[in-house]
Amino acid sequence: MLGEDITVTVLEVRGDVVRIGIDAPRSLKVHRAELLAQLEESNRQSASPSEDVVAELSKALGRDKE
Amino acid sequence: MMMTTTLTGESRTSRPDGDTVTVTETDSELPVIELVHPMPGFPDLHKFALVQLDDAGRLSSLTSLEQPDLRFLVAPPAPFFPDYEPEVDDEVASELGIVEVEDVLLLVVLNAGRSLAETTANLAAPVLVNTVTRRAAQVILDRPGLPVAAPLIA
Repeated sequence: MLGEDITVTVLEVRGDVVRIGIDAPRSLKVHRAELLAQLEESNRQSASPSEDVVAELSKALGRDKE
Repeated sequence: MMMTTTLTGESRTSRPDGDTVTVTETDSELPVIELVHPMPGFPDLHKFALVQLDDAGRLSSLTSLEQPDLRFLVAPPAPFFPDYEPEVDDEVASELGIVEVEDVLLLVVLNAGRSLAETTANLAAPVLVNTVTRRAAQVILDRPGLPVAAPLIA
């Protein structure tokens, strides 16, 4: 238990795989920390591409359509 | 694709055909959207403008109004990932004030590479925009088969 209303349960252990269940109120966002870290990294990499890259991509997408 | 038209149509009708919408216009002309949660890695930024970058509506940018040098390339996923139909839970729908599914604009964040072949799309966390309320969020879908970096073209 975490606090009053969050339950963490090991659902299954099979070889190298452990399934974990998290039972929490719907209002609480439950995300895997490693996924969040991955998304932060992906967003940082995606942020503010150079004008050249944007122009090239825009052109390529136009071509792709035809 | 329809949604993109809806969202940008307003600002384009006042312009001659073929004129490009740019970020140098005054804020009042831009479709300003508000993120109900900041994007992972970019805390504190809530106000963005959605700017169409090409005539076909295939490429847009989410440009921060609070940090003007920051923008993300976004695209409607349908032309690239025809089977991509992410489901979001009621909590997200209610946060965005979604009433009709037709009001939702689905976008994926692109990580632009040097070429189209090196460009990836984030399918794990699409951006959902309620085109009526202009509330949006990068929704985190923790599901197998939805990669953070899916090649844009196969």
